[in-house]
Amino acid sequence: MEVRRATENSISPSPTSSKHPKPPPKPVDSNSVSLRLQKELMILMMSGDVGISAFPEGENIFSWIGTIKGGNGTCYQGLSYKLSLRFPLDYPFKPPLVKFETMCFHPNVDQYGNICLDIFQDKWSSAYDCRTILLSIQSLLGEPNTESPLNSYAAGLWSNQEEYKRVVHKQYIAEGGIIET
Amino acid sequence: MAGRASSHDQRLLPTMDRDAINEITHNWSGFCIVTEKLLQDKNDPFKESEFVAFVSALSKHGLSSLVQDYFLQALEETFRTNSVAKFWRHFDAYSDFVVRETNVATDDWVREALHESLEEISSEKLFQEKCLSFLLRALQAPQGSKGRQAKASDSKSTTVDLLSRYHLMVASILLTMLPRYFPEILRLYFKERLEELSLVMSEQNEDGDKLLFPDKNRTESNYKHFYSAIDEMDHESHHETVLFESKLVGKAWISKVGKVVQDLRSLGFISMTEDAYSCAIFLLLKRKVEILAGDDYRTPVLDSIKEWIQAVPLQFLSALLSYLGDSIGHEKGSSGYISPLASCPPLDFGQESPSEGLIRWKLRLEYFAYETLQDLRIDKLFEIIVDYPDSCPAIEDLKHCLENTGQHSKLVDSFISALRYRLLTAGASTNDILHQYVSTIKALRTIDPTGVFLEAVGEPIRDYLRGRKDTIKCLVTMLTDGSGGNSSGPGSTGDSLLEELIRDAGEQETSIYDDEFDSEDKQAWSTAQSWEPDPIDADPLKGSRNRRKIDILGMIVNIIGSKDQLVNEYRVMLAEKLLNKSDYEIDSEIRTLELLKIHFGESSMQRCEIMLNDLIDSKRTNANIKASLTQLSQKGIDQGDNELLLDHLDATIISSNFWPPFQAESVNIPAAMDKLLDDYAKRFHEIKTPRKLLWKKNLGTVKLELQFEDRSLQFNVAPVHAAIIMHFQEQTRWTSKNLAVAVGVPVDTLNRRISFWISKGVIVESVGSECDDHVFTLLEDVSDANRNIINSGSCEGLLAADEEGERSMASVEDQLQKEMTIYEKFIIGMLTNFGTMPLDRIHNTLKMFCGTDLHYDKSLQQLQSFLSGLISEEKLEFRDGQYMLRR
Repeated sequence: MEVRRATENSISPSPTSSKHPKPPPKPVDSNSVSLRLQKELMILMMSGDVGISAFPEGENIFSWIGTIKGGNGTCYQGLSYKLSLRFPLDYPFKPPLVKFETMCFHPNVDQYGNICLDIFQDKWSSAYDCRTILLSIQSLLGEPNTESPLNSYAAGLWSNQEEYKRVVHKQYIAEGGIIET
Repeated sequence: MAGRASSHDQRLLPTMDRDAINEITHNWSGFCIVTEKLLQDKNDPFKESEFVAFVSALSKHGLSSLVQDYFLQALEETFRTNSVAKFWRHFDAYSDFVVRETNVATDDWVREALHESLEEISSEKLFQEKCLSFLLRALQAPQGSKGRQAKASDSKSTTVDLLSRYHLMVASILLTMLPRYFPEILRLYFKERLEELSLVMSEQNEDGDKLLFPDKNRTESNYKHFYSAIDEMDHESHHETVLFESKLVGKAWISKVGKVVQDLRSLGFISMTEDAYSCAIFLLLKRKVEILAGDDYRTPVLDSIKEWIQAVPLQFLSALLSYLGDSIGHEKGSSGYISPLASCPPLDFGQESPSEGLIRWKLRLEYFAYETLQDLRIDKLFEIIVDYPDSCPAIEDLKHCLENTGQHSKLVDSFISALRYRLLTAGASTNDILHQYVSTIKALRTIDPTGVFLEAVGEPIRDYLRGRKDTIKCLVTMLTDGSGGNSSGPGSTGDSLLEELIRDAGEQETSIYDDEFDSEDKQAWSTAQSWEPDPIDADPLKGSRNRRKIDILGMIVNIIGSKDQLVNEYRVMLAEKLLNKSDYEIDSEIRTLELLKIHFGESSMQRCEIMLNDLIDSKRTNANIKASLTQLSQKGIDQGDNELLLDHLDATIISSNFWPPFQAESVNIPAAMDKLLDDYAKRFHEIKTPRKLLWKKNLGTVKLELQFEDRSLQFNVAPVHAAIIMHFQEQTRWTSKNLAVAVGVPVDTLNRRISFWISKGVIVESVGSECDDHVFTLLEDVSDANRNIINSGSCEGLLAADEEGERSMASVEDQLQKEMTIYEKFIIGMLTNFGTMPLDRIHNTLKMFCGTDLHYDKSLQQLQSFLSGLISEEKLEFRDGQYMLRR
C-alpha cells in the first residue's frame, strides 16, 4: 500500500472532510455486518500481533477503541496511541472512520487526529480488516509520506530525526502519555 | 414537745377558763408519765384505767390528735434506741465473715442471727403494737359512751390510720439504718434454705445428689452442714423427713422459714424479702441448670429441669405462700397490676389448684430455665453440632427453649462468630468444614424448619467454601462415597450425604420424575401447602428467598453455584474410577448415578450414563472379540505367546466424545503386546464396521509378576511402569536417556515414572557418566534391595511427584484452565484498550463478544479464579477492584 498524497486528495484536511459520499442504496444486513466484525475481532485477538490491539467499545460492536504501539527502531518506539474506529453500517463495502484519539505528531496526521492513508480513501477494499488497518497505521508511523503532508511542520522536520523524535516525545508527554522503556 | 403543747394551749386559751387549763396540764403530764412508764418498763404493771382517764380527759378537750402524735413519737424514740440498734448489731459480725469467706460458718451464723434478731425485734414490735392498742382503746372509750354508732366508722379509720402510721414509722427507721450487706444476708439465708430443701429432695429420690453438686468437696461440706443442722434442731429435722415423705414440705421447717419471711414483711422489708428469695431461687436454678446441662449432649435435660423446678423451688414457694396465707395473694390481686400471664389456664399442679401467684412463679421459673439452658446451649452450639447425630437431645432441648424465648437471633450471631473463629480457618480441612456444614444443616433444620436461620448461618460457610479449590472434589467424594471405591475423607461424612441422596430418592418415588419443570411445580405446591410464617426476628431481606423445603443437597450444590460444575467433577471422578476397573463390575456406580439422576435431572447426567453404558458394552464386545480371536488362533493361524496373552487382555471401549479429556502421553509398549492390540483393533473393526478402535496405550492397568532369582513379586501398575520394567528383561542396566528413547517418553517423565520401581526396591538408581544422566540397574537380590532402600532418600521427592501425575484424567481445574486460555487473549485485548476494568465488566464483555463463536459459558467465579491465575503469572494486576495489565 502507499500513502496517499494529500495534494492529490480532493478531500481537505478539516475534520468534516473525511465524510464519505452517501453510500449507494444497497441493502445492508446489519446482522451480517456485526457477524463480520465479530469475526474480525476474533482474528485480531488470535493473531497475537505485537503492538496492535482493538476492542469494541461498550455494547456497540460498530465502535471500537484501538491501541497502537510505535514500532521498534522508529521515533515512536515505546509510545502507545489510542485510536477510535467507527464502522459504517455498510462495512466492509465502505472503510471505517479511523482517528487518533491521542494527539500524534506525524506528517500524515492532522491536529484533529485525522489520518491521511490511501486505504481509507480510494484504495479501500473489503479484503482489509481490522487487523490489517491497524498494521497499516502502525507502519505509517515509521514510514510517513512527507510528500503530501497534513502536518507540514512534521514533514519538514522528518529529515532531522533527532529533533523529530524530541518533538514527538514532547507532544506525547504533553498528552499525558508515559514512555515505556 | 412542751413547746408544741403550749402553742396548742395558747390557741385554746381564749375559750377556756383557768380550771380547764389546769385540768389539761394535769392530765397531759400524767399521760406523759404513764406513757413513758408503759414503753420503758415492761415489767411495771400497767394502770390501764389511769391511762384511759388521762387520754379521755385530753381528747375531751379536742387534743386526741396531739395525744396520738405524742404517743407515736414516744414509740419511735423507744424503738429506735432500744430495738433497732440492737437488731442491726446482730449482723455486724457479717462483714468479718465476708472478709474471711468461710462459707459454712457464715451459713450457720446467718440462720441463727436472723432467727434470733427477728424474734427479738418482732417481740418488741408486738409489745409496741399492744401499747398502741391501749391507746386506741383509750381513745375510743369516751367516744363509745357518747355515740358509738355515729363514731364507729370514724374510730375504725383512726385505728387503721394509726396502725399504718406506726408500720411506716417502723419500716422507715429500719430502712434508714439499713446496713448495705443486709440484702446479701437475706439472700444467703434463702439460698441455704433452698439448698437444704433440694438436698432432701434429691436424697428422697435416691438419685443421689451427684448431679446437683458435682464438686465433691462442696458436696461433703454441704452434707456435713446439713447433718449438723439436724443435730442441732432435732425436732425440726425429724418433722422435715417425716413430712417430706408425705410429699409436703416439713411443717416446722417451713414455719420457721415462713416466720422469718413474715417477720421481715411485717418490719417493712416486703420487696427486699421477695427480692432475696427470688434471687436465691434463680441462682439455685441457674446452677442446677448448669450442672444438669453440663457438657453432655446425649441426654435431654429439659424435663429433669422442669421436674426439679416442680420439686424444689415451687414446693418451697407453695409452702411459703400457703404459710403466709392468702393475704399475699389478695395483696397481689388487689395491687391493680394484673400480669398477662394471669389469664393463663391453671396448670396442673399437684392435687389442689394452685394460687395465681404460684402459677406466675412457675412461669417465671420456667422461662428463666429456658433462657439459661438456651444460653448454655448456644454457647456450646459448635461442639453440639460437631457431635451432631449424638447430640440430638441437646438440640431438641434448645429447640424447646427457643420456642419459649424466641431469641433465635442470639443463636445466629453467636454461632456465626464461633464458626468464623473455629471452623473457617486455613487449618480446617475442607472435608471437616463440609461435614460440619451438613451437620449444621441437619441440626438447624430441627430447630427451625423454615430455614431462615439456617440461611443466615450457612452464608459464611458457603462463602468460605467457595474460596477453596478442593471443595468440589470433596463434595463429589462425599456424594459418591459409601458406594464403594476408595475414600479420601472420613467415611461417616460420605455416608451421611449418600444417605441424604437415598432419602431424597425415597421421597420422590411417589411422584414420578418426568421432567424438571413438573417436579419443580410439584415441589412448589407442596411447599405452599406446608407454608409456615417466618419467625418474627427473621431478616426480611433473606427470609422470603428461601421458602423451599430445606434440602441438604440443594444447599450443598448452592456452595458451588451450579450443579454443572458438580456434575462435571463427578464425571471426571467417575471416568477415573471406571478406567481403573479391571472387571466390568459397575453396579454401585450405576446405583449412585441413578440417585444423582433423580436429584440433578436426567439430562445433566447423560454423559455419565453413556460412560457407564460404554463399560457395559465393552464387556460384551470384549467377550465377543476374544471368543472370535481365540477361534482364529485355534485354527492355527497364530500360535505361541499371543494366545496366552489374549486371555489376559480386557479392553474398555469408550466413546471418547462423552468422556472427559484424557491425559495424553505416548508410550511404546512391547511389540508382542502391540501386535495383540492391533489384532484386537482389527477384529473390532470387522465386527463393528465402520467403527475403529484407537488405543489409548497409556491408560489402563497392567497386572504383572516379576520373577527374580530369589523371589517373585506381583504388581498392579500403569502401562508406562510395565513398559519400563519390561525393558529390564533384556538388559539389566539402562541409562535414563536410552531407556527414555526405548520407552518413548521424555526423560523427565521417565525419571518420574521409574521412581515407582525404585521405591519398590526393584531398580536402583545411580549417577551416570554424564552429570544429567542416571543409570538404572535391576536388583536381583533382596539384600541389595534393602541396602538400596536405606540409601534412596533422594527418591522421596520424585515419588511424590509421580503420585501427582498418576491420574489418567485431566482434572477439572486443568480443563478449566485450558478452556480459559482462549479468552486470555480477549481479556488482554480489552484491557489494552480500556486500561482498567472491574470483574463484572470483563465478564459481560466476554459474554457479549465471545458468546457466539467461543461459547463463553463460564461463571463469574470461574472467571475470577482464572484472572487470579493470570495475576500470579504476573500478566495482570488487581487494584481497587479493577484489573489492569501489568506494565
